[in-house]
Amino acid sequence: MTRGNILLSTLLWSIIAFLVLYPLSILLVESFKIAGTGGWGISNYLEFFKDTYYLKTFGNTLFLSTLVLLTTTLFGIPLSYILARYRQRGKTVFTALILLPIVLPAYAGVFAFIIFFGRFGTVNLLLIDMGLIKEPINFIYGLHGLVFVQSLHMLPFIVLSLSAGFTNIDPCFEEAAEVEGASGFWRFLTVTLPLCTPTYLAGAVIVFLWPFTDWLTPLILGQVDFLPSVAYINIAYHFTDMHRKYMGIVAVVVSSIVCITLFLLARWWVERKKYTGLSKGTTAEGRVIEPSPLVKVGSYVYMIFIALLVLLIPIVLGLAAFSRRWVLEPFPSYWTLENFRLILLESPGLIMNSFKFSLIALLFGIVFGLPAAYLIVRTRMPGRDALDFVITLMLAFPGIAVGVSYLLGFWKTTPVPLADYWIIMALALFARRLPYFLRMAHASYLQLDISLEEASEVSGAGKIRTFFNISLPLLLKGVLVGVVMFFIMAFQEISTAIFLYKGGWETLPIGIYLNWHRGMEFGIAAAMAFLMIVITFILLLIISRISGGVLKAAWGPGGT
Amino acid sequence: MRKKTLAITIFAVLAMALLLVPNFAAKAQAADKLGWVGPVYKELSASLTEGFKAYYKKTYGKDVDITFVRPGGWPVCVDKVRIWGGKPDADIFLGAGAPAHEVLKQDGLLIPYRPKNWDKVPAEWHGMKVKDKDDYWTCFAPWIVTNLYNEKVLKKLRLPPPKTWNDLLNPIYRGNIVHTLPYASGTMHEAIEILIQGFGEKEAWKYLRLLAAQLARFSTGSTDTTNLVKRGEVPIGVAQPQMNAMAARKDGYPVRDLLPEKTILVPEAVALLKGAPNEKIGKIFLDWLFSMDGQKYVLEGRYFAARSDIKFSVWEKEGVTMAKHAEKALGVDSFWDLDVGFIEYDLDLATKRWDEVNRKYEYEIYRKWGELKSSLFLIEEVEGEIQAAKAQKMKVKKAEAKIKEARKLFEIDGAYAAARLAASKARALLVAP
Repeated sequence: MTRGNILLSTLLWSIIAFLVLYPLSILLVESFKIAGTGGWGISNYLEFFKDTYYLKTFGNTLFLSTLVLLTTTLFGIPLSYILARYRQRGKTVFTALILLPIVLPAYAGVFAFIIFFGRFGTVNLLLIDMGLIKEPINFIYGLHGLVFVQSLHMLPFIVLSLSAGFTNIDPCFEEAAEVEGASGFWRFLTVTLPLCTPTYLAGAVIVFLWPFTDWLTPLILGQVDFLPSVAYINIAYHFTDMHRKYMGIVAVVVSSIVCITLFLLARWWVERKKYTGLSKGTTAEGRVIEPSPLVKVGSYVYMIFIALLVLLIPIVLGLAAFSRRWVLEPFPSYWTLENFRLILLESPGLIMNSFKFSLIALLFGIVFGLPAAYLIVRTRMPGRDALDFVITLMLAFPGIAVGVSYLLGFWKTTPVPLADYWIIMALALFARRLPYFLRMAHASYLQLDISLEEASEVSGAGKIRTFFNISLPLLLKGVLVGVVMFFIMAFQEISTAIFLYKGGWETLPIGIYLNWHRGMEFGIAAAMAFLMIVITFILLLIISRISGGVLKAAWGPGGT
Repeated sequence: MRKKTLAITIFAVLAMALLLVPNFAAKAQAADKLGWVGPVYKELSASLTEGFKAYYKKTYGKDVDITFVRPGGWPVCVDKVRIWGGKPDADIFLGAGAPAHEVLKQDGLLIPYRPKNWDKVPAEWHGMKVKDKDDYWTCFAPWIVTNLYNEKVLKKLRLPPPKTWNDLLNPIYRGNIVHTLPYASGTMHEAIEILIQGFGEKEAWKYLRLLAAQLARFSTGSTDTTNLVKRGEVPIGVAQPQMNAMAARKDGYPVRDLLPEKTILVPEAVALLKGAPNEKIGKIFLDWLFSMDGQKYVLEGRYFAARSDIKFSVWEKEGVTMAKHAEKALGVDSFWDLDVGFIEYDLDLATKRWDEVNRKYEYEIYRKWGELKSSLFLIEEVEGEIQAAKAQKMKVKKAEAKIKEARKLFEIDGAYAAARLAASKARALLVAP
């Protein structure tokens, strides 16, 4: 416990206190304010749980979460089993495709699906033209559409966690069951699945939390009676009706509490289970089966089906981006570059802003993340676990909570009126996406043998010199993956930024939202979303170059 | 060694980036500034930005930086200005019709200014106010509240375009109509005012409840409505600014507007905010906006220009692209040549109940939409059963009285649960009178 470490720890904690703990506590405080009286109390919360409307939205959100979790699990179990166990060609490509939605912005998916599955979208029109149906089928508007869009977006998390589970199971457990005479399916149900529960839960909790975070998808689909959408409307559309604003804040706090509680419960459960079951080491690849031809064909069909659904997003958005007047025809017939001309020539500021804010956030992320990882892995400072805990918790916080708390905590009437300066955009992105970089830095640090650093110090180099000369170059690969991952996630962030932007600070995702919501031309929003996908894809290619395989790149932070 | 250099380079670049940060901020200080807040569409703000920047550079030899805050529809924008409380983040309230400006005027959040060429905008038109006599607000882009439909989709569904407000309640349109909340869109707010002032309060709320049951969904704003109709997802959009059809047709969408039999003029207006940080430049902007040059940029921004000394045919020859489309959309050479009739519109009354109307709609209809629909559908079912029973010469007197009560509970009181209960009772009375 050197003086330098104490200084570092104090510094990091004060940053966390200022950028995370302070705004979030303001959020909590505001939720207890009573409109019109200047008083305090729990009456907002009482009203929330008594008012039929808020109670209904809360119930709706829980129901949606359950449905999304069930759907992803149902589709995820066979998918991850196929990916983890069967020996197949093209496995890497399929895995990459199925994991793609992690890095695609959720709103991009919605746009693509309403174009493709809408009332007069491609599918309905083709079916009508073929004479199979007379009236268009409602594929997408309603709860079922919401479940579909959100499930596809969250499926990778279940696949990642389950296939990690399948791979890690010691083959002898299953072999034992088979020797005892259990059939394949029975063995799967009674041995394999229960053994996967801990890793499954880690993914499941992230899936379950998503409907408490995603306000935009329900809004685009015209389904607004869900907690985050109601909170968004209450806070972002109303300024003078203080009661309504406080109720919105209560909704945000309630979602945050649900998210954090579930996150902690799952974490606690996973940690407990880890020590009781899977103690023995296993082969790196896990158990791999050569499936029968029939099963093989079936599994290919299944993988192609899911991969096609994912591929629809870039394909449909690409079609919409390069065309206009796509009305009542299965595929566009009027092709143009007008959408891109408008984006690139008339509002390049959006792209500039996106890069500027994300890069600055990234800079903060690195300057904060590397020392934090060092502190957590290499020192025995008291409070380092708490630091790790607080940062990891940011994974569970809804973006809307971060946005609103920044708005409240840094408003112009507060002692720190940061909300008036654009730097707040970068700070908020930094706070929201912090875990993504830290996790990677953390993991790379764990793999770095301490003896290398010790050797340097024994030879007379100081701690700082050792860090720059020895540790950093060795950490570089993992850190770079963290850097790109952080950048991708910051680049597509909207839930937080939407509360903080002012005229001239719009980022590309906000541009997509505004063009859909306030602009007359849908194609521009589609073109912007397409542009985001292209940028994300280029960045993903860069990571896969660095770390060998898109799979691993997405795996790192996704698995946490 | 190479890795070390790389690491040091990365850090050097990052450090440089940090140093550059203040530069970004400093660069913005050099030019003059102007801030707008308001609900106008993106095409108009883009066109006006382009036009005013060029004008400012030419006249004053300096750049002007324009920021535009657009939090949502009229009521959202009004609320934004209210919360600024006289210390606005903008100088100009750009867009929204008369009641929004009247609300701000009465809250003391505007200052009067009479721009040059103010007298070229008529003071009144068919009984509707076009500008404020105290100079607080002036219309720069007039339009009429219309409904919108996608002719290609309606043809495919073999449905005729709905001509009147009551046509929209026809069961053939059920699930094919979309509109938004009055709070999210000033046009929707005005449509509700039209109904209240045109049909009377009781009839209007009854109508709105019945219309809500016809909706495919609520849109999130008037632009969302336009987009849904344009792309054909929902073929009929209620409460749309008149120029949206023109803009969509220009882009090649099969969309047409309908003037319902009862409607009003919306004098899309502009005003100077009290406490405007750049009041001087704000006034320069207002003067420019009502100049011929400014009005051309209004039309190029896909809004109709407000000056009465404008001829679309003349502008077309001068190379204004949108002039041709405006002439085609309106069928006349100047907006003020339109031959239309409006309801008697009480602006003071509309201003007074501005917040109340928005609130009532949201709490009584929007939030109870599911309940409302299930209630009405049950009433309709039971009414059908009573008709069938009548045909079989059954005794239906009591059931008929009960279902009438259910209708009244639904339409007049908006008591959806009670109405459903009454309908269930009517059904029971049908079986065992």
